[in-house]
Amino acid sequence: MTNPILEVRDLQKSYDQGQIEALRGVSLSILAGEYVAISGPSGSGKSTLLQLLGGLDVPTRGQVLFRNSILGSSIGLDTYRSQHVGFIFQAFHLMPTLRAIENVQVPMLGVAASAKDRAAHAEALLCEMGLEHRMSQYPNQLSAGERQRVAIARALANNPAILLADEPTGNLDSVNSARIMEMLTGIQSKRGMTLIVVTHENEIANSAPRHIRIRDGRIESDGRSSHASERPRA
Amino acid sequence: MAVQLSLVWFACKNLKRRRLRTLLTLGGIAMAIGAFVALVGFSRSFEHEWLRIYESGGTDIAVVQKTFLNTSVDESGVAKLTALSTVARATPMIFNMMDLTPEINALVYGWKADSFEFDALTMKSGRRFRDGQPELILGDLLASNLNKTVGDTLTIEGSSFKITGVFHGGSALETGAAILPLDQLQQLSSLQGKATAFHVRLRPVPARESPEHYLQTAQAQIEAALPGLRAVPAAERASSNQLVVMAHAVAWGTSSIALLMGILGIANTMAMSVFERTREIGILRALGWKRWRILLLIEFEATALAFVGGIFGIALGWGALHVLSTLPQTATIVSADFPPMLFLESLGVALLVGLAAGAIPACRGARLSPVEALRHD
Repeated sequence: MTNPILEVRDLQKSYDQGQIEALRGVSLSILAGEYVAISGPSGSGKSTLLQLLGGLDVPTRGQVLFRNSILGSSIGLDTYRSQHVGFIFQAFHLMPTLRAIENVQVPMLGVAASAKDRAAHAEALLCEMGLEHRMSQYPNQLSAGERQRVAIARALANNPAILLADEPTGNLDSVNSARIMEMLTGIQSKRGMTLIVVTHENEIANSAPRHIRIRDGRIESDGRSSHASERPRA
Repeated sequence: MAVQLSLVWFACKNLKRRRLRTLLTLGGIAMAIGAFVALVGFSRSFEHEWLRIYESGGTDIAVVQKTFLNTSVDESGVAKLTALSTVARATPMIFNMMDLTPEINALVYGWKADSFEFDALTMKSGRRFRDGQPELILGDLLASNLNKTVGDTLTIEGSSFKITGVFHGGSALETGAAILPLDQLQQLSSLQGKATAFHVRLRPVPARESPEHYLQTAQAQIEAALPGLRAVPAAERASSNQLVVMAHAVAWGTSSIALLMGILGIANTMAMSVFERTREIGILRALGWKRWRILLLIEFEATALAFVGGIFGIALGWGALHVLSTLPQTATIVSADFPPMLFLESLGVALLVGLAAGAIPACRGARLSPVEALRHD
């Protein structure tokens, strides 16, 4: 865990021709295999930072580097998102027309693998999420916790180096929140992935080994927890 | 075995999602392709029947006016034609479209009683007409439609003609036609001494000469002998016939409008679909789908709609051609034949319609920014 997988240099993002400044010169470095929580009040810029780290958007100024390659120039954003990043959203964002197992295969459609291999990999991931009996269900037939587990399996489909989760427990009750966070940290430690979670829940943020607080588009604090090895609880 | 997902299956599921809208769009494109098949099939059939007239009658060349004037060829020119070394036989003829009854409109030919074109006809009953006599013969289909038989009288534009025979022709156009003595039709049309064309049968192709070269030699001879007239090979005459050209133009013009409506229908469906699925497209972009893959998905959906609609449309158009080939009003110019080329052409047109209709919605979907699309409600 010594090499930075992501580096952010003087990142700025503004909207409406500069009238709204979401990020005002953020710089940070995230190591490979690190678990980082980003928190802050609404409108602080935490989700904007996550979008820029995930290559969903481009900064107004500054750079995001993935393994020393500048996103959007040295490495294409589409390639970065498809091969190196997995997204987990608060609202799950599953395709309503597809079964759970088909949803997990969606990111793999652009990957050079046979349909049979893709399906087998999706099946294995859903089993890992404890959804072996729910594979053929459509999203509207699944509970909120199950949907988020399908979304996690989907995020892992292309075996990314980084998992980005935007309020992953925002739509879940406390039991399911705890289970999802346990799953995410388990995956992070088992696979050695980098996990970046944006949350407004202090308990989750404080339980992460590293906690970055954002306020008014700037980093307010960036600290490592004394109980870094502990698993977070909702 | 685990359920496998492919781009095709994903597109099909998207189409199944809004069943009513998909079905209505399929109906629209089926009507458009059906109209295309029926109209273009109709005009092709018409051309084909013209060609069969020349082929079955043994006509190699039709000699017509260079201008658009019909029935203005001087009948006396036939003597110059028969004197040519390449010409075996030549005969003047008139053809016209006439109302035989208020309901039945048919082709009426004026032939000489000794025309070589009688060789292609089989007399089913009665005999040929005689020149100078108010007589005529009817194609069997027309006789049946008019409910007439040998010995009956048929009145055309106030003049009575005795039906001396009923024949079966080599073409649907002939089986639905009436043939009068040339002089009688000239008199009826106040066109004494005039003909629409000379039909020419050439002598056999000499050894060591190609048929194409021989045909060109004959054309040159004829045009030199009869300045102001044009010698047209039979196959070309069938396709350049003014009625055929007009039928083609009407068919393509009308079906183009129908196809445009089909394109607008699919484009509307796809534009609605892209708008409703903006957030989903954003998710796909977030999951690493490249712009071209989004474009491919939407174009595939549009093309699949057009393909399925096209298949139904071809069946619909084929059915329409079958019905037209049995109706008394159209049976003379439409056959129920459905050439494979028309099937492939119609399917090709359907796929092009789909691609064209999907282009703008697909480009719009592919251009969406992932962040903006994810924010979309």
